[in-house]
Amino acid sequence: MKPIINFAAQLGATITLNPDFTVKKGNRYFLLNSNLNKVLRKDFYYAGTYLGKVKNGKFFPSFALLTMLAKKEANKIVVDRKTAWLFICGRDIFQKGITAVQGSRQKGIHTLVLNEFGECLGFGRIIRTLNAEEKGNEVAVKNISDVGDFLRRET
Amino acid sequence: MNGKEFFTNRYLQLGWKFQEATPKQAIRINTTNAKGKNLIERLYANGIDLKKIPFLENGYWISNAKVSAGATAEYLLGLYSIQEAAAQIPATQFTRLSDKKVLDACAAPGGKTVQLADQMNNTGTITALDVNKHRLKALANHLERCHVSNTAVYNLDARKVPQLNLKFDRILIDAPCSGNYATDKNWFQHRTLADVERNAKLQREILTQCAACLNLDGEIIYSTCSLEPEEDELNIDWTIKHLNLQTEAVGCPGEKGVTNVFGKRLDASVEHCRRIWPGETQGFFICKLKKRGDNA
Repeated sequence: MKPIINFAAQLGATITLNPDFTVKKGNRYFLLNSNLNKVLRKDFYYAGTYLGKVKNGKFFPSFALLTMLAKKEANKIVVDRKTAWLFICGRDIFQKGITAVQGSRQKGIHTLVLNEFGECLGFGRIIRTLNAEEKGNEVAVKNISDVGDFLRRET
Repeated sequence: MNGKEFFTNRYLQLGWKFQEATPKQAIRINTTNAKGKNLIERLYANGIDLKKIPFLENGYWISNAKVSAGATAEYLLGLYSIQEAAAQIPATQFTRLSDKKVLDACAAPGGKTVQLADQMNNTGTITALDVNKHRLKALANHLERCHVSNTAVYNLDARKVPQLNLKFDRILIDAPCSGNYATDKNWFQHRTLADVERNAKLQREILTQCAACLNLDGEIIYSTCSLEPEEDELNIDWTIKHLNLQTEAVGCPGEKGVTNVFGKRLDASVEHCRRIWPGETQGFFICKLKKRGDNA
């Protein structure tokens, strides 16, 4: 569970996972509900809520985990409609597309990316300290992972 | 006689005159995720016009689309799934699903698994099986995208379900089948009666093993997208006679199950099933089976 907790911390969030309900299968982590926990066999392929995987020592969060973290106190930016669309197409975020910031604004920090409805679209790394006064065409947040990945996985 | 003549002549004997069909594209709203999100208005703003499907609570035809319905943010966030209208019917036929132990015996690619989870509001458990390992990835992606949290997936042949040592309250058998011409333009060129009979045998084996894992008063929904009676009414007639299950009425459009198949008289209760011939939807067959308790 350490990779998950460490990842949450990178986003300025804290997460508590019940170790009895958190299972690791290969390099993948899953969170079970109490009913599933009673019936799950070891040879499952997928179970409960997928939290993410560790690959080459690096943690790759699932979108379910990002959604869970988005409901907590964490670093978040809200982006406008056009920016949201470009982000899920894999693009980085310009300063001018950001409509609100919660949590850290500092360069180098990870932040969740939310659309105008408060739905989590993914996360990125702030590469230019976010300044509310600036509305420029410079990339401010680099895309690390976005929900468009569901489409890219299929191709 | 070519394949098309052979099969369409059989359909005529079952009381239906062949017609070309192109099923409309449909979506199903994942109500657990979309609650309070004005999804229909949001899709309209994106250039997707929807029309309610009268026989489905959460199903909509796509009447006009300026963008692909499979590439919107709302789709990627799991607010809806793209699911053919007739394929949405089987999961809606269960009596009360909340908190139940549910088996989805042939689950990949997962459209109906997600639908079951949505109807259960992620309560209870779903055990989802598929024999084909490379199809499990699509199933897992579907579950993740739609935030399903009550499902365990196994790479297991549905005929081996007793190995799990579990009993279920509800079982969906959306059986592997021969398909139909409405979704496969070359269907008549590559399908033979031998394929149909091979699939029918496999389906009976799946029914047998799933029935053994069904609790008393439990329900099985059996469905196929095959129009061939060997995979549909004849299998249900066999099930009634061999597996101690009874049919119950299916509440959806379509014709009654055929009880006289090419001169063979079937159990009268087979007419509780529904046979949907291709038209606005693809072809489909749906049957509800119940294992009666001792006091029934």
